[in-house]
Amino acid sequence: MYHVKDLYQKHKEALSLSLLAGQKGLLRAVRSPEANRPGLSLAGYLKNYTNQRILVFGPMEMSYLQDLDKEVCLHRVKGVLTPKTPALVIACRGGIPQDIVSLCEEESLPLFRTKMKMMEFSTRLSSLLNEEFSPSTTCHGTLVEAFGVGILIQGDSSVGKSETALGLIERGHRLICDDLVEIRLREGLYLEGSGPELTRHLMEIRGIGIINVAHLYGAVCVRDDKKIDIVIKIEEWDDQRFYDRIGLDQQYCDILGLQVPYHVLPVKPGRDVVLLVETIALNHRLKEMGFNSARDFNKKLLETIEKKQKQARKISEGIL
Amino acid sequence: MKASCSVKVKNPQGLHARPASVIVQMLQQTSCVVHFTYRKQTVNAKSIMSLLLLAAAKNAQILVEVEGEEAEEILHRLVKAFEEQFGEKGWV
Repeated sequence: MYHVKDLYQKHKEALSLSLLAGQKGLLRAVRSPEANRPGLSLAGYLKNYTNQRILVFGPMEMSYLQDLDKEVCLHRVKGVLTPKTPALVIACRGGIPQDIVSLCEEESLPLFRTKMKMMEFSTRLSSLLNEEFSPSTTCHGTLVEAFGVGILIQGDSSVGKSETALGLIERGHRLICDDLVEIRLREGLYLEGSGPELTRHLMEIRGIGIINVAHLYGAVCVRDDKKIDIVIKIEEWDDQRFYDRIGLDQQYCDILGLQVPYHVLPVKPGRDVVLLVETIALNHRLKEMGFNSARDFNKKLLETIEKKQKQARKISEGIL
Repeated sequence: MKASCSVKVKNPQGLHARPASVIVQMLQQTSCVVHFTYRKQTVNAKSIMSLLLLAAAKNAQILVEVEGEEAEEILHRLVKAFEEQFGEKGWV
């Protein structure tokens, strides 16, 4: 559950917020990632009023309230402040009626003031709340960036995920995080992976221990987050299993409802996994640019077969 | 043990990437040596690129030669796969 307190603590500076009253209500839940300018509701029309959004009073609302009688003003404000309203933010440079401050204190409803302009605040609040409310998950794996492609390396424990990542870093690619990857769905369109703050840029290599990649290889070899473009599953070579030999059919895996290109990469002595991961990354880039080697080859092959068929037909017709 | 027979490619598009992939998958587990001969060109049937190089069209006659312990069985399975158009029966 996301609380007003979380928003205040995390984004106090970004939103220029200062708490004026209702500290006791900081544990009120924020259930909707939207801000609400009450407008008509403040004029007394409360039909279809959505009370679960953070209320924002701009200069317009404040000047309207000032024009009202003291009692009417209080009545109207009471009408929009419900037990489910998370908080009230005033984005206006002028003074705030003491009655509103006292009301918020009484109702234990957090009352904030922001130094930002109304529209600027409302846009930023919506954008920050959307980020906070976006679906997320965590998974076991290593997230790296090779040739600009975000690769989530998965596989069983001790199959060599961290070693592969280390090899990639050594070749100038970047580490985002190792072991635990936090994945977030951004704008419903793409997945962004990042690592927990505590273990950021750290890796555990068996036989060596914990290493700090940023310190060892330099800041250029790490980054904090990256869009996940492909998933590669590293697994022990299994003679019984058939591995893709052509690459005509792209496999996908489901992460937070999005289909992400998925490759199974079998490992055995003599196979340079780092090089193979680099090749998959490059091939992915090529596919994104509209070149699919497997498809192009098959097309060429079908053309050759057709040509041969035509020739054979001509010859047989000539003989006949 | 050796076994051989001539089979006809029935796939409308010939022996392209998908059927070739099926053949390779089928032969992955066997220790038999399998060769395909088409137009005087003999290739190892376990190598996908070699199979594709044949560029065998529909109705092409391919000589299949299998050498090894389970030669008869492998040959039988291959003939059946050719017959069934490698799962592409009914494709246009």
